[in-house]
Amino acid sequence: MKLEQDIDEIQRARGRVSKDETLPLVSLRDVSLGYDSQPVLQGVNLAISLGDLIGAAGPNGSGKTTLFRAILGLLPILGGSLSRHCALSEFGYVPQSAALDPHFPLSVREIVEMGAYGRVRSYQFLPSEEKERTSRVLEQVGMGHLITKSFFACSGGQKQRILIARALMVKPKIMILDEPLSGVDEATRHSITDLLINLTREKGLAVFFSSHDLEMVQKVADKILRVDKGKSWLEERKMGL
Amino acid sequence: MVGRKENGSLAVSTLFEIVRPSYLLFPALLGTMIMGLVCPLIGSYLVLRRTVFLGLTLPQIAAAGVSFTFWLQQSGFLPQWEQSERGMGMFGSLLFTFLGMGILGYLEQRGKGFPEGRLAAAYAFAGGLTILFIVFNPAGQVEVLNLLKGEVIALSKGELRLVTGVFGFVFIAVLMFRREFLLTSFDRDLAFLLKGSQVIWDVLLYLLAGLIIAFGVILAGPLLIFGFLVLPALAARPLVSRMSSFLMLSSVLGVIMAFLGFYSSVRLDLPLGPTDVTLGCCLIFLAYGLSRVPTKMGAALLMLIFVGGAVTSCATRTAPAPVPTVKDIKKEQVWLAKVKNSTALPLLLPANNPLRSLAEMAGKISSDYRQSVMDLLRDDLRKGLEQNGYSVTLPEEMDARFPPFPADMNGAVRMAREGKLSGLVFVSEIWRWEGESQKFVRVLIDFKLIRINDGTVLWERRIQRAVPTPSATNSGQASTDAATAIVHDLFTG
Repeated sequence: MKLEQDIDEIQRARGRVSKDETLPLVSLRDVSLGYDSQPVLQGVNLAISLGDLIGAAGPNGSGKTTLFRAILGLLPILGGSLSRHCALSEFGYVPQSAALDPHFPLSVREIVEMGAYGRVRSYQFLPSEEKERTSRVLEQVGMGHLITKSFFACSGGQKQRILIARALMVKPKIMILDEPLSGVDEATRHSITDLLINLTREKGLAVFFSSHDLEMVQKVADKILRVDKGKSWLEERKMGL
Repeated sequence: MVGRKENGSLAVSTLFEIVRPSYLLFPALLGTMIMGLVCPLIGSYLVLRRTVFLGLTLPQIAAAGVSFTFWLQQSGFLPQWEQSERGMGMFGSLLFTFLGMGILGYLEQRGKGFPEGRLAAAYAFAGGLTILFIVFNPAGQVEVLNLLKGEVIALSKGELRLVTGVFGFVFIAVLMFRREFLLTSFDRDLAFLLKGSQVIWDVLLYLLAGLIIAFGVILAGPLLIFGFLVLPALAARPLVSRMSSFLMLSSVLGVIMAFLGFYSSVRLDLPLGPTDVTLGCCLIFLAYGLSRVPTKMGAALLMLIFVGGAVTSCATRTAPAPVPTVKDIKKEQVWLAKVKNSTALPLLLPANNPLRSLAEMAGKISSDYRQSVMDLLRDDLRKGLEQNGYSVTLPEEMDARFPPFPADMNGAVRMAREGKLSGLVFVSEIWRWEGESQKFVRVLIDFKLIRINDGTVLWERRIQRAVPTPSATNSGQASTDAATAIVHDLFTG
């Protein structure tokens, strides 16, 4: 598969830069986050490296999305230090599908192609290899048959998978997924978690996702960042789950 | 009349007439269609970003700029710009549009209030300023109001080149940056990750919007520009599920709206802005109706049938009958009544009218007398009737107290009988006579040939249209040319 070749290529390229390989892609040290100087989350310590599967678990409004926005450079941190060792264009971001405006007339193909916009110049037509890649990433998430369908006519689970395909289209080193398991049925949850595990185990990507369902995060993630009442702490995955 | 065959056959095509490059209004038609093509591309993003009200507010701000510039000029604060009134208006329009956008952008950054509130306040403020600047204008209000109406029908070839340049530039820019505009409109976070700052794309999109609004308002008027921005996009939205189709269909509907609106405007003598906007609203209703059709193919077919039907209904008309021949009326005596003016305006020609001076020099009129449109029309009618062999007499030659006759049959017959006239009476009544930019005169006139004895209307004709006066250099000449053209119409059918 071409996608696997791409990922191998990224890994080989990373291997040539031995100094970078030892560094985590993202590291946060005692970071404080918030809006208008009002902290929402304090003392966040986290390092995300290739192959990591980390889940952020906490109730709604605990600051998980705020943390993601800070990692993606969309929100300035209030204190501490945040360093990235990859370009922002190498982040595959999967927002909550409910946050996207259904008023836009967009097909599944157009949604996934957005992931290639960073590589295509304004005056260029989308190259044929990018079009082929669109089909491949959709096949990879099992949504190849929906390529011509309207995105907002898809079910919640289908939308999540399509947005994951869009993030893969970016050719990411790290995937950030905001509540990818919310609003989907049990079977879809399992298929999405299998996909996330596959991305880390087989493709070697770093995956950082959030969920308010602690039990689900404990089942899937290798490390769990617990977020609650303005504090955060890291937990290892409990054996046997 | 537009598209009439010389032989006066009944069914004639007018549709093909207006698409001929030699047609007098062809630059206006082309200009409107260019605006109809490009405006919906920008409007699509305004609709999707839910900032439709910006498309209403910015044209109003531009209109305030136009009236402000003319007020300054007439008050002596700005030099007179003899070359082009519209050029002057464009300057004010551009200045106010970009100033308004800057202020709105600054308030947006400050995050004070909510967006709809800011736009509503700006719209009301700009609307108020527009009227106040017009009232302050010592040169009178009609001229500025005409400019603000943005009669695109008077678009010259030079202005068409300007429209092509400006709107062509915007068209290319929108196509070139369509991915960036889509990304920043749909998912700002992804746009930031892939393209860096979104602000640059927002600014570019609004600059392009400001450009077409500033130029469009002075050339086509605020209403038409708002209509072109928003209505085709709203009509296209329920029919498509892909962004590329959305942009394409919006543009196609914009062109259809422009073409049918222009045709209806010329044909039925309706103002272009309201006609186009009404048509655009019909397209929205039609689109939402068609969106219930189960297949897109069926919806597209119905849309084509509608457009085809509209075009076909525009394309044919019944040619009006010319004034009857002398043989038809059996050489009866024709009394040519004074033309009745039923407009609210005096319709006097300017004091410097050259025809008046000649008459004055010949001692035929006093220096206090000012010729009117009614005089012009009656003179031309008399010439036309005499050239066609009629025996024409003026009622005042029999009795100087005869007033103008109304076009109403009963009233005209009563007056003729009271004045003891017999034979036929030719009556004319002007309901509308408005000169526009010396290039057109919009008229609505009724003509009737009535037999006095039995009150039979032997012939009648209503002329309601914009009469082109391309070679006129002043309003007096425009009226003279229009009267000649109308009388020519009456006798050729």
